[in-house]
Amino acid sequence: MSIKKYSSMIRAGILDALQFRLALIVTTVGNLLYLLLIYHLWKAVFASADSPVVNGMTFSDTMIYLVFASSLMNFMEMWVVWFMGRSIQSGEIACDLLRPISYRSWRFFDGIGENIVKFVTTFLPTAIVVFIVSKGAIKLGSNLLFFVFSAGLSLVINFYINFMVGTICMYTDTIWGINIMKVVIVELFSGATVPIAFFPDSIKQIVLLLPFQTIVNTPLQLLLHPEFSLMERFTMLAPQITWFVILFFVSDWFFNISLRRITVNGG
Amino acid sequence: MASPIIQLKNVTKEFKVLNRHEGLAGSIKDLFSQDYKIIRAVDNVSMDIMPGEIVGYLGPNGAGKSTTIKMMTGILKPSEGTIMCNGVVPYDKRTQNAQNIGVVFGQRSQLWWALPAIESFNILRDIYQIEEKKYKDMMNLYGSIVDMDALMHKPVRQMSLGQRTLCDILASFLHDPAVVFLDEPTIGLDVAMKSKIRELIKMLNKERNTTIILTTHDMGDVDALCQRIVIIDKGKMLFDDGIDKLTETFGAYRTLSLSLLSKKEKADEARMNELVQKVTDVLGSNISDKNAFTVSSRDDQIEILLDEKKTNVMKVLNYIQDESRIYDMHLNEISTESVIKKIYEGGLS
Repeated sequence: MSIKKYSSMIRAGILDALQFRLALIVTTVGNLLYLLLIYHLWKAVFASADSPVVNGMTFSDTMIYLVFASSLMNFMEMWVVWFMGRSIQSGEIACDLLRPISYRSWRFFDGIGENIVKFVTTFLPTAIVVFIVSKGAIKLGSNLLFFVFSAGLSLVINFYINFMVGTICMYTDTIWGINIMKVVIVELFSGATVPIAFFPDSIKQIVLLLPFQTIVNTPLQLLLHPEFSLMERFTMLAPQITWFVILFFVSDWFFNISLRRITVNGG
Repeated sequence: MASPIIQLKNVTKEFKVLNRHEGLAGSIKDLFSQDYKIIRAVDNVSMDIMPGEIVGYLGPNGAGKSTTIKMMTGILKPSEGTIMCNGVVPYDKRTQNAQNIGVVFGQRSQLWWALPAIESFNILRDIYQIEEKKYKDMMNLYGSIVDMDALMHKPVRQMSLGQRTLCDILASFLHDPAVVFLDEPTIGLDVAMKSKIRELIKMLNKERNTTIILTTHDMGDVDALCQRIVIIDKGKMLFDDGIDKLTETFGAYRTLSLSLLSKKEKADEARMNELVQKVTDVLGSNISDKNAFTVSSRDDQIEILLDEKKTNVMKVLNYIQDESRIYDMHLNEISTESVIKKIYEGGLS
């Protein structure tokens, strides 16, 4: 019965997203333009390099990675920060605090339907096109299973990060700057714009310790490297699972102390 | 005697706000300021609300109404005092409390914006885990009160404000909560819609014995729905009793309307002000208690609000007739609205 609570909300989100079919088309076109841009950018990077393999990746490796990365980011895009910012400013958050579900779960299940729609309408078609165009460059097997599991975790980790950024709005009352900062940090350190392999070694060490790389880098490494052993795969998953657990608790804790500050001191 | 469903005991709520300074320099100073002042939004309020009551919770803007409602629903925690709602301390167990209450906050809709209302209702059914049979019964009850077919299949964003409010109220009663909070439910609605919504609230209260806390600025709502009203101003409770006790408590008021001008004379503003001044002077020189009357003008009429405990109508008429000719007169019982207006203005407390 309690699962129905959540599945019903997800269903509503899916219905909601499907109302705006034009928005889906615009997103897809925007994404294609972005891919065109990075194609030419990276072509120039490889043309100026001495060897066809840069940082262990060929041009086609890089392109496949980036196409996947951008459509992964695309499907995981969330409006949590905007939504929370707006409802905190307008006081509308009061309504959602009075639901019989915790606020974090409410936000998550309210938004996740849209991500599912985007997964089917943008990520899946892109993946299929890449498989066909790359003519079997990516072997499919158990790596697909690991990818799906990892991408699921990515989605939740991405949500927790967004939720925490949204919570900051309780202190600042403004969203614009914080959200821009979040977008830049996540895009860069997740490996969505530049593969982690291209980072200088010292920075790479730090980036690999941060939660952001588990959003894009981890699931894509698992998908694009079918040759990894089981041990290597679990080693990749370990930081992701750790971050999932940490953020699960921290985002809840941070929201609750922030909310208490509001409910005790008023706002 | 049944035990109260909501109980507030000496509830006080204080807010800490930054003392803001004016101008650019002031704003920059505010960035580093630690200069806070404490505002007491609700000051030592106690009340017991019984199951099935419709309580009108009134007060001027900024009186502390919303703050009290937010404490009763569990969004805010009182600085002092305790609240029990349906056996639960709302601010400690907000999510659990949410299962037992329904809320409509003014013009904010809690329905899914892009979806037809029926979808929202179905989601609410699952979220509040309403049994299928109960849900059907409720929908049948709704069907007997309003035309559900016309409402349910329209996306919420395409609805008129009235239809949306109607849906929001229906949604808030859907899980058959023990208490429903309605925060200005008729704000911005036309007369016909207002009366429709009042009918609906009344019916639902009667059918389900739901306790309703209603805040409003529309005395029509109060007259149509509430047996009991609570008035709050500047955080303090001014009145808590049956609506019929209101006039008793605050004096036996009646309004005397007089036409002091013949049909030919023009009743412009200057002339009316002159008359108000004249009548005030006449009454002032005859009646020692200045609180016994208030003189004002409306269109071409002079209106005198009288406290019959302190003076009486015949005397007042005599005083005026000595000075001026009275062409016409009406005597009206004071409306709830006027009493409350006087309370807000501080004339009666």
